[in-house]
Amino acid sequence: MVDAIAPRIELVGVSRRFGERLAVERMDLVLEPGRIHALIGENGAGKSTALKMVAGLVAPSEGSVRIGGEPLASVTPRAAMDRGVGMVHQHFMLVEPFTALENLILGVEPVHESAWSKLPLLGPLLFGGRLDLDAARTKARALASDAGLAVNLDARVSDLAVGEKQRLEILRVLYRGAKAILLDEPTAVLSPLEVTELYATLRRLAERGHTIAVVTHRLDEVVRFADDVTTMRRGVKVHAEKLDADARERATETIQRLTRAMMGGDVPETSRRPPIPADAAAVLELQSVHVAGVGSRCLTDVNLTLRSGEVVGVAGIEGNGQRELETVLAGLVRAESGAIRLDGAALFTDGGDKAAMVRDARARGLVVVLDDRHHDEMILDATVSDNLVVGDLGAGGLATSSAVATDEAAVSSRRFERFAVEPRDPGRRGRELSGGNQQKVVMARALDRNIRALVLGQPTRGVDVGTAHVIHEAVGDLAATGAAVLVLSADLNELRALSHRIVVLSEGRIVAELPPSATDEAIGRAMLGVTEDGEAAA
Amino acid sequence: MTPILTPARQRTLLALAGALVVMNLASFGFGEAPLETLGRIWAGTWGTPYGIGQVLFKAIPLLFTGVAFGVALRAGLFNIGSEGQLAMASLAAGFFASKLGAGLPWVVALPLVVAVAALVGGAFAAIAGAMRAKLGVHEIITSIMLNRSADVFLPWALAVGLSVDGVRTAPVAEGARVPPLERWFPSFTGSAASLAFPTAVIVAFAVHAWTRRSRIGRELEWVGQAATVCEAQGIDVARRRMQAMVLSGAIGGLTMMGTVLGYKGYYELGLGAGAGFSGIAVAMLGRGGPVQLTLAALLFGTLAQAGIAINARVPRDAMGVIEAVVILLMGAAAFASSQDEVKSPVPANRKETAG
Repeated sequence: MVDAIAPRIELVGVSRRFGERLAVERMDLVLEPGRIHALIGENGAGKSTALKMVAGLVAPSEGSVRIGGEPLASVTPRAAMDRGVGMVHQHFMLVEPFTALENLILGVEPVHESAWSKLPLLGPLLFGGRLDLDAARTKARALASDAGLAVNLDARVSDLAVGEKQRLEILRVLYRGAKAILLDEPTAVLSPLEVTELYATLRRLAERGHTIAVVTHRLDEVVRFADDVTTMRRGVKVHAEKLDADARERATETIQRLTRAMMGGDVPETSRRPPIPADAAAVLELQSVHVAGVGSRCLTDVNLTLRSGEVVGVAGIEGNGQRELETVLAGLVRAESGAIRLDGAALFTDGGDKAAMVRDARARGLVVVLDDRHHDEMILDATVSDNLVVGDLGAGGLATSSAVATDEAAVSSRRFERFAVEPRDPGRRGRELSGGNQQKVVMARALDRNIRALVLGQPTRGVDVGTAHVIHEAVGDLAATGAAVLVLSADLNELRALSHRIVVLSEGRIVAELPPSATDEAIGRAMLGVTEDGEAAA
Repeated sequence: MTPILTPARQRTLLALAGALVVMNLASFGFGEAPLETLGRIWAGTWGTPYGIGQVLFKAIPLLFTGVAFGVALRAGLFNIGSEGQLAMASLAAGFFASKLGAGLPWVVALPLVVAVAALVGGAFAAIAGAMRAKLGVHEIITSIMLNRSADVFLPWALAVGLSVDGVRTAPVAEGARVPPLERWFPSFTGSAASLAFPTAVIVAFAVHAWTRRSRIGRELEWVGQAATVCEAQGIDVARRRMQAMVLSGAIGGLTMMGTVLGYKGYYELGLGAGAGFSGIAVAMLGRGGPVQLTLAALLFGTLAQAGIAINARVPRDAMGVIEAVVILLMGAAAFASSQDEVKSPVPANRKETAG
């Protein structure tokens, strides 16, 4: 591979307006070749919009985007791609039933050339167009090994794990000749090990001269891996600095500085976990629960008891039974055997239909927030105010018959205010919100329900520091009232901050139970199924 | 604040103008002086009270089936079975109405007959609905097959005893007739427009309000937008789909108010045929709401009536071509407007805020 000569990217006085809202306001930004540039800020601060303007996905309302000194010819992803700019989105843009290789070449398919196909007019039509998959595979392999991206090119995308899908996305922009790669919250879905691997890849690309820009919420990774950091608040660039060895050395200080810039003030410390009384009763019990699944996506003999006021964290590499644990507790899938009890009474015993099971569990106080926001929690085409009450129409307090009661408006606006959803307009469609604000909607709806036990799948994925703090506080408050909370998260810091103890899922089994003080290494080993004296669960 | 001629509406008008140009060219191809055809169409449709009445008459089934298709579409279902549903409902309610006592007052007879039509239309749609909800068989397949089933069933049912002469039912009871508009507007005299038209408009508005305001109506729409979310949030997806399908069939069944009760006074084989499919185009063009739906039904009603008006000189099938051109151009205009919103820095005026 020829070493890339990446373009210098400049935003000059760029603003972008959505309706009455200024998403980005008169922003100047320079992305230098050979460096990893982190863009940080709260949800809705305008980070993603700024990058989307570089990628030709969103037109600036004023100001100009210059790539290699020249403004974009037209605002299309293709024009940006022609100038060597490629973007990896927060939500993957892959065709699931296609193989990795097919996704890679989609739109830029290499074809066999022959003398006939060069005939004018009818030549390409009649003789051209036979796919040259071998050429594609050779090129893809070279790019992948060069960048250190392990992707199984012949696997269907639907069979790939999250980390591999992301590697495929990066490989795809490289395949299209991108010299500048923009990544929107790439680490939100990754396990700690995968995060390190991702940045190793990005570093390798930067060293070859690529320009790298990353939107992220995780300040620790900014301090560890980025060269430049720009902080945005409410559409305005408020802080920029180059991170040198000294800044990395004093990581805590640097993180504090960045946090202050992001929030415009200090984040209060997350409150300590209140102790659980010795005689606290069991609230949520799982007794040798089995759920069938594919490969490691299953549950095998899961035993877990959550007592009143207790917060239990669940760690594990994605696809090791977390989803099954969430869905079986939500009533969406049926356990093959075993028992689930809430306050001593068995749940999901009658052979009712799925909707009845879901509603029954919720009515009795078992509230579940699933991890896949767009699949299970948020209707993107419905308004925010609708999303705040989905599933609650007809429940106590809301409409009890076919006519919707007027107090729905009160419930909806109470939930809307709980986490101060941005933009401040409940009439927006779900898809107009940033990922973090969507999560605020989802969490506000769940926390407003009558809760005995709460199950949270990735509660702060893609959520900014400030909001994550508010959500964590709410979880703590809930536990203090005597509810039990089960938190499944890829963020070990989150699990440590919230949990009284952490259990580790591996291949559908609980393989370890650790105190929140356990090290990353200890938790990581358990995730990989490496059992160890004294730490392995009985 | 909002100008009446928004860019989207300008495009719609432009699309209509484009269709007129195409029609002109087409009639030129048939050896007619182009403007002459246009004049004849005007005279046959909106140019005379009789023409207007005929347009309203043609719009009745289109509006009913358009509303019917739209309801199912809200729940994410493609009910292609309106054709069979309205035919079954027409026969059943027509036959039922013929058996009612002649002296029965209209306040009793009419609601009864309409209820039978809705019931039978809904029941016939329920077959496809149940197969989708319980077995996962796609409603496009089943509703098309049910259309064919109705095609076979109807002549048989008429032949074995529901008819007086093998093709038509006995006349409906006088009290079950839907009165023609000419009773109040004498200038409509001779046209087949009946009170079924205002009824259809009311149904369009009522259904719209219901889907916006009632629990079931709103959950229907959510199911159409994201069934997996609804499932996880405890909404009975299968049941809502079933309800959407049944309601769609019932509204489709009401079509017989315009044809059987408002026009012929009996059911005969093929009465109202084709409206089930045209209704799909009406629903697609009129997706914005009941006003748009009514306008779309009037547009297609106009085209259908225009086809009859020019039939002597230009083959009626030419109107089929025009219909296709209208759908194509309006679709393009709608697409262009949707692109507008994606691309422009200032999106087109936002809809009202809820709550």
